[in-house]
Amino acid sequence: MNNPLFDLDNWREIGTTLARNKTRTFLTAFGIFWGTAMLALLWGGASGAEGMLRRNFSGFATNMGFLFGGRTTMSYHGFNKGYTWQLDDADISAIRRLVPQIESSSAMTGFGVTVAYGSKSTGTYASGVEGGYAGIQLPVIYEGRFINESDVSHTRKVAVLGRNVANELFGEASPIGKFVSVNGLFYQVVGVAGQTSELNFGSRIDDSVTLPFTTLRRAFNRGTNVDVFLFTAKPGFRPTDMRPAFERIIRSNHPIHPDDHNAFNFQDISEEFGKVDMLFTAFSLIALFVGAGTLMAGIIGVGNIMWIIVKERTQEIGIRRAIGAKPRDIIVQVLSEGMVLTAIAGLAGLTLATLILGVADHMTYSPTLGHAGFELRFSHAVYIMVAFAVLGTAAGFIPAIKAMRIKPIEALNSK
Amino acid sequence: MIIHLKDINKTYPGAVPLHVLKDINLDIERGEFVSIMGASGSGKSTLLNILGILDNYDSGEYVLDGVTIRNLSENRASELRNRMIGFVFQSFNLISYKNAIENVALPLFYQGISRRKRNNLAMEQLERMGLADRAHHLPGELSGGQKQRVAIARALITKPSIILADEPTGALDSVTSREVMEVFRQVNESGMTVVIVTHDPGVGAQTNRIIRIADGRIVNPDDNLIIPDCKNV
Repeated sequence: MNNPLFDLDNWREIGTTLARNKTRTFLTAFGIFWGTAMLALLWGGASGAEGMLRRNFSGFATNMGFLFGGRTTMSYHGFNKGYTWQLDDADISAIRRLVPQIESSSAMTGFGVTVAYGSKSTGTYASGVEGGYAGIQLPVIYEGRFINESDVSHTRKVAVLGRNVANELFGEASPIGKFVSVNGLFYQVVGVAGQTSELNFGSRIDDSVTLPFTTLRRAFNRGTNVDVFLFTAKPGFRPTDMRPAFERIIRSNHPIHPDDHNAFNFQDISEEFGKVDMLFTAFSLIALFVGAGTLMAGIIGVGNIMWIIVKERTQEIGIRRAIGAKPRDIIVQVLSEGMVLTAIAGLAGLTLATLILGVADHMTYSPTLGHAGFELRFSHAVYIMVAFAVLGTAAGFIPAIKAMRIKPIEALNSK
Repeated sequence: MIIHLKDINKTYPGAVPLHVLKDINLDIERGEFVSIMGASGSGKSTLLNILGILDNYDSGEYVLDGVTIRNLSENRASELRNRMIGFVFQSFNLISYKNAIENVALPLFYQGISRRKRNNLAMEQLERMGLADRAHHLPGELSGGQKQRVAIARALITKPSIILADEPTGALDSVTSREVMEVFRQVNESGMTVVIVTHDPGVGAQTNRIIRIADGRIVNPDDNLIIPDCKNV
């Protein structure tokens, strides 16, 4: 006999056998179909779920931390506990001078305002930020530009409108170059921006008006106080590592007891990311575990059916051997049937899973956040197919070999 | 001489070993029409299996059409079965999901003969059996006699050295039995060696020579040309 792989007759024989034994073919095919579909859904679903979690954090520097004032919890220097301290310019310039691990930083102050253009006005939130802010919150620029270092140092009267604010005041028209009033003072619009991240201070960029920090403070008489100080750590450092230095600097400017750590509102976002990362790891482990289980169940199912097929066909195998089938012919036949089934049913399973994942991705799509990523990577699809082909075939191999051990005469007599 | 058996012994191992064939000596000439008869348990099926290379023997010598059959690998045995032996069974042993022509053509599939050619040859055999109009019927749609004729067509398609039939009429009524035996006779008259194993004296009587086997031995091998007077069952 020629190489069975290239023998059209052999394929025809397999096709005939599969087509004429519809129930058996269907049951086996369904097992494989279900297994591959489940595994693909699990894999693609896990990637989508991870994407949904992760996109909440996209558009945000991950090694970021922030600090703001608070109330002391210990009396010190004649001040009762409960004394409220606030960050001010002196703290921030000292921090910038003394903590070299800071990469980008921005002081930030904000409050509710009314923004108006022509006859339209809307209540919104104004935040004053410095140039470093764009390295922390990573705004999405829809038009124009964001607030930069030069705006801050020259105290320019410029503003960046949030996308939703711009829509409300200008509709489809471009606001760039126009002057808007913020609580009665006029600023020239230089950009329209938004954000992808779910994290925000005060309000989302989309829903606020962003001004240079110095301009906002001078225009609205905010003195030297600062609401919050945002910063990112240089590569290789974590914000938490910098906390002692921050505390020392603040203590030198404010009456805070050396042991009073609760007076500081210090948050290390990178730690939150660490927690989320752990969640992802746990998630992939569970997916892997369930996936391995699904795979095993699928393989055992296929193997079981292959076993029954061979058992059921013992007599047929006996007949075929009596009239001249070599052991190899029989094994090739059983295995080829298994492989053809695996290929067709497996592809069908993957197709179904891909369709379902496509629907899920479409349903979770958000214009600002983008796709969640409910999709099966091509390499994963290949892994699934190979796993089922190899293990399913191996599962069929055992009963096939077993069938070979039976003498043709015994096989013939079995009913 | 197409079959030459010399001092064949066969024992089935077990707690009580069963010595089923004891010093069997048997020669069958080319073109003979022979029946092997014996009661159940006499060893005739074992002898048939050895003749058909479906089972091996412990000692002795078996030469089939010039080929010594001894300690063959499964592959070689399959090949010899395919080319030298045409089997006909009591229960027909057709593959139920294949139609008549596919069943007849199957031995040629294992010889690697192209589909067109083997279907032509199978059709020829079916025509000879008068079953041309049943070629595309499944075995389940055929009568017992028709099934057995399909099986005979399948046995003949490889132009084997011998036809081995194991109780070929066991599952058929007497009228159909006679028809099938008539087919065997025609096959024999075309020059084919036919060996039929049966316990039915009526069947044995229609062959040219009866070999009786009892208790693992061939009895009165010299008298085996005597045809007993029990033509009808």
